[in-house]
Amino acid sequence: MNSFTSRLNSLFAFTLSVMAALTFGCFLSTVLNDHLRPVQLSVGKVSVKNVPDYSADRERSDLGFITFDLFTDLSPLYNWNVKMLFLYLTAEYKTKDHELNQVVLWDKIVKRGENTILDFRKTNTKYYFWDYGNGLKGNENVTLTLRWNVIPNAGTLPNVRGVGSEVIRFPDQYTAGRF
Amino acid sequence: PKLHKVHLQQWDQHNLTGIIMDYILPYVPESIKSIPTHMDFDGQKRAERYFQIIILAFAVAGFGCGYVTQFFSHTLYILFAGVIISSLLTLFPWSTYRKMPLAWQPARSSDNKSSALASSSGNQTQSKGKKKKLKD
Repeated sequence: MNSFTSRLNSLFAFTLSVMAALTFGCFLSTVLNDHLRPVQLSVGKVSVKNVPDYSADRERSDLGFITFDLFTDLSPLYNWNVKMLFLYLTAEYKTKDHELNQVVLWDKIVKRGENTILDFRKTNTKYYFWDYGNGLKGNENVTLTLRWNVIPNAGTLPNVRGVGSEVIRFPDQYTAGRF
Repeated sequence: PKLHKVHLQQWDQHNLTGIIMDYILPYVPESIKSIPTHMDFDGQKRAERYFQIIILAFAVAGFGCGYVTQFFSHTLYILFAGVIISSLLTLFPWSTYRKMPLAWQPARSSDNKSSALASSSGNQTQSKGKKKKLKD
């Protein structure tokens, strides 16, 4: 502490330690949140085709097509420790080849400050609903759920499933032609 | 000759600041050169205590305000305001930090220089190791 620069150095180092403590305090203030919200999901058109997947091994695989409705209000999830939410719509189902299949059909990033009320009607999926094999035809129990990944300012990044889901029943026949 | 020797040393040590000061210092007016740049030891202790307290106070206030408004950026802005205020108050050698100077012994003639060093009082925490041994 003998010169301007040494005092500046100790003040700066002290400030950094204080900022680290404040950030930890911000994390502690939100560590007990459960991040749950109700979600309303429904599907419209449901069909399945059996086409070769040219990006995989050229065998014929099941390709599902759905349109969905989504309504939810995510504003209570946002606090001073949330930078953004990464939302993803997942279809989960069981086939005779694989016990658990999960396919992400649609995703969205909602940053803090953006519109948090989601109201999608008759929306097409963003990504193809490919199955590994032929497990979608006649599948009675394909569960559609909306999940989100909470991206904080400080702390852990939990994956949370929204409360509410929709069951899709795929038809027994493949659909021929275009959609 | 002394100036030349110092000049050579600074070139050897790549001391750019020293070289610049050699060329600028003769032109700086005396009123500026006589501005004190040191603090007493007691002043240094008080300055460090003051900036720690000010920054902590602004940090706590900022945390409260940030929690109420739910914006962590508000917490950091308030903290930075506290850092600027405490920097202005404690980094510069204001005269309040020079109010307890060391009580040096009066200067003696050069024959008794070593005994004068041994008997000087005050907190000898500076770099002169030889002085420490003599004092104890």
